[in-house]
Amino acid sequence: MSPDRASGASLNQGASLTARLKMLIRLHKLEAGRGIRDILSNPFSNSMTALVIAIALALPAGLQIMLDNGKHLSQSWDGASRISLFLTVGLSQSQTNQLANQIRENLAVETVEAIHPSQALADFAASSGFSEAIAELDSNPLPPTLVVQPAEGYTDPAASEKLLAQFQKLEHVKKAKLDLDWVKRLFALLNLAEKLAAALGLALGVAVLLIVGNTIRLSVQNRREEIEVIKLIGATDAFIRRPFLYTGFWYGLFAGILCWMILEVSLLWLENPVAALASSYQSQFKVSGLNLVQSLQLISVSCILGLLGSWLSVGRHIKQIEPK
Amino acid sequence: MIQFAQVSKRYPNGQDALRKVDLEIAAGEMAFLTGHSGAGKSTVLKLICLMERATSGQVIINGKNLNKVKPRKIPSVRRDIGMIFQDHRLLFDRSVFDNVALPLMIAGYEHREIGRRVRAALDKVGLLSKEKNTPIMLSGGEQQRVGIARAVVNKPPLLLADEPTGNLDPELSAEIMKLFEQFNQVGVSLLIASHDLSLLAQMHYRTLVMKEGRLVQDQTDETLGVEHPPEQFESFSAYDEEENHES
Repeated sequence: MSPDRASGASLNQGASLTARLKMLIRLHKLEAGRGIRDILSNPFSNSMTALVIAIALALPAGLQIMLDNGKHLSQSWDGASRISLFLTVGLSQSQTNQLANQIRENLAVETVEAIHPSQALADFAASSGFSEAIAELDSNPLPPTLVVQPAEGYTDPAASEKLLAQFQKLEHVKKAKLDLDWVKRLFALLNLAEKLAAALGLALGVAVLLIVGNTIRLSVQNRREEIEVIKLIGATDAFIRRPFLYTGFWYGLFAGILCWMILEVSLLWLENPVAALASSYQSQFKVSGLNLVQSLQLISVSCILGLLGSWLSVGRHIKQIEPK
Repeated sequence: MIQFAQVSKRYPNGQDALRKVDLEIAAGEMAFLTGHSGAGKSTVLKLICLMERATSGQVIINGKNLNKVKPRKIPSVRRDIGMIFQDHRLLFDRSVFDNVALPLMIAGYEHREIGRRVRAALDKVGLLSKEKNTPIMLSGGEQQRVGIARAVVNKPPLLLADEPTGNLDPELSAEIMKLFEQFNQVGVSLLIASHDLSLLAQMHYRTLVMKEGRLVQDQTDETLGVEHPPEQFESFSAYDEEENHES
């Protein structure tokens, strides 16, 4: 006992505020380190836990990436509300051109491209690989086609559909088709998928909270004796909670980084097949992965889930431990 | 320092651990609490450090009425009490230094101040050279001294010890008691629960004897060993069958 408190009988006022703050920062450092050592002390089972969390996060995150790509893909077709007019088979080239000119006079029309049957067949033979089979054909089964690009201001679905009805009535037009249809369907599908992704994300987010909560519960139980002792020494619940919160945070961080790696590897793996598929549609489409901001968002969400999961669990379980 | 006024404690299982106990220990006093196991010694200590609450009566520590302490305030009450346990209750996953530093870290002391105080406390108990060891590498007596260093490092005005020499041989026990006397000499109040009667006989301090939850003797005499030979206490052993969770 040092002489500065020779009486020994005064109450502890504790340390000054700045000293407390300094100590708090130091404690945080210490406990952050202890949390990491805790996880590293049992690397196998703890990395399993982190991996489970990572997979649970990778599912909704991966779905979200696919949706973003799908939207991107559909947007590039958004303005392409072209109308295809399939004419009567056997219509002569001059008649086709005449009809094209007639349509061109419509104010709502920007351009009209006439595709003649022979040209269409040649294109098809070249791109489909059925050239030998096509060569066997007696006559060209393809109708002449006019591809109409509506003028600006007439590309929205309602105006396009008006034009469509108009063209449908023209002589020699067998079938008028709006290319927008499938875009609309794709949008509806993407919307549905987005809702599903949100629901999946929510469910798996809760799962992550439970996984972290359970891991922390076991960790609290393992350190029951220690908690009793430091409670007896006068530790507040906040002091006891802190190392567990750090453990939860580290789980979140490791899992977030793992999840990011899983997604990047999966995208790399998908890159070539997607490029091949896209090139078969004459598209330059490339799968885009997570950018920096999204990557950081993913990792932050993971950290927050880790922290929240441990916070929800640790408070309840620490209260149950009272020194005996 | 410690004041019990008509304190009773009934455990949820219906057992009356304390029956209307009155006692007072002045600031700077050192006293022993004795009696067979189950007599209520442990309950007295538990009430003081708020591990249990009195069923009726008042417990006043350092001028604070413990009946009025809210759960959230329990830690701050405990920080003014140094506790020493029979089984030491050290944390085996950290060094001797870190064990002793724990109360200071909880109280938020600054790093350098912690180092200074921990070394002073370890020096006091003669374990300065072992600060980097883990408790598991130490003998029972050394572990107990680490426990004592941890209890005094925060310089609490009151030390409570529950059978501090229970697992130690007489020589080590005497050493521990000498330490307690030194703390007492600088003004620390001590309440030591012990049934080590031969030790009490040597110590010549106030001795409170408990029996069936009552305080049956309160002596400041120096002749405990003569007037109340150990045989008398041994007759308590008849009650040992009633042993309960408090011991």
